[in-house]
Amino acid sequence: MHRVLSDVSFELARGEKIAVLGRNGAGKSTLVRLLGGVELPTSGTIERTMSLSWPVGLGGAVLPQLTGNDNIRFVARIYGKPIREIRDFVEDFAQLGHFLSEPVKTYSSGMTARLNFALSLAVDFDCYLIDEILAVGDQRFQRRSHEELFEKRSDRSMILISHISEILRDYCSRALVLYRGRGKVFDNIDLALEIYNSF
Amino acid sequence: MFRSFLKQINLQRRVIGALMIREIYNRFGREGLGFAWLIVEPLMFAIPVLLVWSFIRAKYEHGLLMISLAVTGYLPVLLFRHVCGTMIMFIRSNATVMYHRQVTLFDIFLARALLEIFANIMALISTITFFLILGDMRLPANLPMFYLGYFFTIWWSVSMALLVGALTERSKIVEKIWPVYSYTYMIFSGFFFLADWLPPKIRNVALYQPSLQAYEMIRAGMFGNAIKTYGDPAYTSFVLAILTILGLWAMREARKYVIIE
Repeated sequence: MHRVLSDVSFELARGEKIAVLGRNGAGKSTLVRLLGGVELPTSGTIERTMSLSWPVGLGGAVLPQLTGNDNIRFVARIYGKPIREIRDFVEDFAQLGHFLSEPVKTYSSGMTARLNFALSLAVDFDCYLIDEILAVGDQRFQRRSHEELFEKRSDRSMILISHISEILRDYCSRALVLYRGRGKVFDNIDLALEIYNSF
Repeated sequence: MFRSFLKQINLQRRVIGALMIREIYNRFGREGLGFAWLIVEPLMFAIPVLLVWSFIRAKYEHGLLMISLAVTGYLPVLLFRHVCGTMIMFIRSNATVMYHRQVTLFDIFLARALLEIFANIMALISTITFFLILGDMRLPANLPMFYLGYFFTIWWSVSMALLVGALTERSKIVEKIWPVYSYTYMIFSGFFFLADWLPPKIRNVALYQPSLQAYEMIRAGMFGNAIKTYGDPAYTSFVLAILTILGLWAMREARKYVIIE
């Protein structure tokens, strides 16, 4: 058996934002799946006391066979939100227009990511698990994402996975650096980025 | 305490409802018949086969109305095959939904199973109605017994589906063997025969099968005192309870090992 992650331990306070840094194959995706709850850890525990979003990334929680609108209804139903509220937000934020009535599998990866992001913002979580979504879309969309996530929701916790160091430096106070399946938390983001860049 | 329990139940109901709707869209799309396919599909399996039989086979077999025997045999087979068949590697194919943390594996399982059961019961009612109108069939003589037998068929199918769902995730062999089993199942499950027709030695062995037990009760319900049956609800409940616990355990184990992209 191949061990992907071991000895990874961290705690995230309400409102705190932590960066996750790691090269390809360091175990980031596994960490995301564990946090997202689709995979279970072989040993150890994950304790969630805040509502934690699904991984907001390129694929994530949208259902490819369903249309955008059906995804909206599905999410509204299982999170017990009014469908109308979710739809209004998604229509405005994701700017998918008539594509909302098409199956998601016909979307480009950028469009899927936009829908995924919009749905997660519409549900409104305490903590967001952001997986490489900050580089999606055009400038206008990026500005809106930034506004929704970091300005309107500045009181939320976040686990940020991104290759854009500026964003991590601006918003995260701490970083979890993954290297060959091991993880270490640094309380100084600059130091963490420096170490990450030296790998 | 009671409040939070009610809240939990309510959440579960909502989740399973949403999953059922998703399942219907996934399987039948949104155009054309859509939802109606759910009922039409099993009917398309049942009616043609049974209709052909009603032409080529004698009206009575062992003194029993052949169509009554065939309908009470074929629809439980369909239920078993469909409920189990739909669970083959269902964990893998449902990974994305589990990113929504309030959706459990059990909800997905239940949503799928309930859809199949609903479809099958609708098909059962339609088929019986169809042959009642043709005059090839009579209503069950002992309805409570008939219901009990069908209840055991459902329980048996669901508990096997838990095992099929879990084991196909873990082993390629089970996945290959399953179609063979589900095909030969038609022969030994009790579809074609009553336990009473078997030689006593074989009968005693055959009656270990929960499927035959359920069939015996269904037939007792259908034909009443006209036949001798061997259904034992206590034994069947006992075996199915064990099978269900095994299935739930296997499912929980399988969940740990499934690799999701």
